[in-house]
Amino acid sequence: MTDARSVTKARPAAASLIGDEPLIRLVDVTVTYPNGKEALINVDLEIRRGDFIFLVGPSGAGKSTLIRLLIREQVATTGRVYLAGRDLARVSRSQVHRLRRRIGVVFQDFRLLPNKTVRENVAFALEVTGAPLDEIRRRVPRLLALVGLEDQAQQLPAQLSGGEQQRAAIARALVHDPAILIADEPTGNLDPVTGWEIVQLLLEINALGTTLVVATHNQEIVTALRRRVVALEQGRMVRDEVGAAYRRG
Amino acid sequence: MGFLRFLGFTVVRAGQGFWRNKMMSLAATATVILMLVLLSGLVIVLGGLNSGLAYIESKVGVTARLVDGLAPEAVDQLVAEVSALPGVASVEFVSPEEAMRRLEQAYADRGQTLETGGSDISLYASIEVALTDPAAATSVSSALGERPEIERITTIQEQYDKLLGVTNVVRLAGLSAMILVGLTVVFMIVNTIRIAVFSRSREIEIMRLVGASDAFIRWPFIMEGMLCGLLGAVFTVLLVALVWGPIQPLLIEIFQMPTAVGAQFFTFVAVLILSVGLVVGMLGSWISVRAHLAAGV
Repeated sequence: MTDARSVTKARPAAASLIGDEPLIRLVDVTVTYPNGKEALINVDLEIRRGDFIFLVGPSGAGKSTLIRLLIREQVATTGRVYLAGRDLARVSRSQVHRLRRRIGVVFQDFRLLPNKTVRENVAFALEVTGAPLDEIRRRVPRLLALVGLEDQAQQLPAQLSGGEQQRAAIARALVHDPAILIADEPTGNLDPVTGWEIVQLLLEINALGTTLVVATHNQEIVTALRRRVVALEQGRMVRDEVGAAYRRG
Repeated sequence: MGFLRFLGFTVVRAGQGFWRNKMMSLAATATVILMLVLLSGLVIVLGGLNSGLAYIESKVGVTARLVDGLAPEAVDQLVAEVSALPGVASVEFVSPEEAMRRLEQAYADRGQTLETGGSDISLYASIEVALTDPAAATSVSSALGERPEIERITTIQEQYDKLLGVTNVVRLAGLSAMILVGLTVVFMIVNTIRIAVFSRSREIEIMRLVGASDAFIRWPFIMEGMLCGLLGAVFTVLLVALVWGPIQPLLIEIFQMPTAVGAQFFTFVAVLILSVGLVVGMLGSWISVRAHLAAGV
């Protein structure tokens, strides 16, 4: 078995198989919380356009912190995070919302609004960014078709299965046609079959050109798909391999 | 077009928020009404008192009774010298005959005839001094008091001072009450919006994630506070319009002078109520949004 720590440094360009300029680049990033805990330590990472990456590691390894950095909910204590060449620490507060339109996010708990229908949940993401009504009318059915929820458009989240709710959340995350889709444990609340359906959908979205970062504990899926795997442990990046299986420790 | 979409979104969301959180929203609106009723009462009473003061000011002057048998030349000289005093607008000599004529006219105005019972009464001669500034009454009175041609001086300065005192007390007490109630209203609105922010924390989180700007996130809450203020103001204006008529004779009866205020003053009061309602609603919600809705990192 390869030494994970040595792989991290030995294969920094693992993602350079697709595209030229990295879509995301982390340079020697460390995040330290006010209580002194280091959530990420000296992380270097490059993600190319069109990549499909599994972000793995035990709870508390730093996956969520990494995601928060990418969506600019947090800034690095030291080091730099770049999105399409732009230093996220230099994005002013008033411009953060524009940045977030380039990044779609889905979560384990779907985070749908319970009092809105599927259609309204997806449309909401456009309404709150000031999209014109005709654009909303045009885009929402297309997105629902993409995730296979045309027939459930008028249903409330509580009337849907877990998989359907996650599909609705994915449709919402795609409303601004983001360059990257980040999925934080997208199959965590789903049964294995439904989990595979969601992964299939994510692969289809990736095939359409969207970069995917999927944080997961799902060994079966990671191992079966043999995509690029970035592993974190106690804040450090211990592995960055293309075509890897899920591995503990 | 973009602004109209923003405005439409903000107004609709504010209305939805008001309705979802209706118990707190209505409680906040009720405190706004309480404050605005107090404010309009204060403004109306102060308006009435000011109009009473203006009436007295227009009448403030000094009347000086002249000693009997004063020669016409001496009267002319007195008039000329008093006219030259600072603060004096004009001086009019009222002969005993003119004084009698005015008395008869005053009776005639009330539909009565002056009955002297056959005796040949004679009134005293006087000068009536009109002032450019009511504050000059004291200095003019003391200047007149030193002159030998003057027997006695009368002014309505005392009445003016008394009313001014009442006005100042009302103004001070009213403003103190207004500040206290105003603070309560702002506190109520701050809490109403705080609850609204907490109850919609999931929505706010999603809005942030999908790239809504701070304006789209914050303004519906500010508008919701303004809605509480506006509703309270509209209700108060209707209430004031309802009692406007009965208040006028009441003011005259209480203060025993022309303290009624006109229809134009109602417009002023209505605009004031609406503006204060909106501003207080906006202020409360702005404070709440600043305190409880942290901006993006």
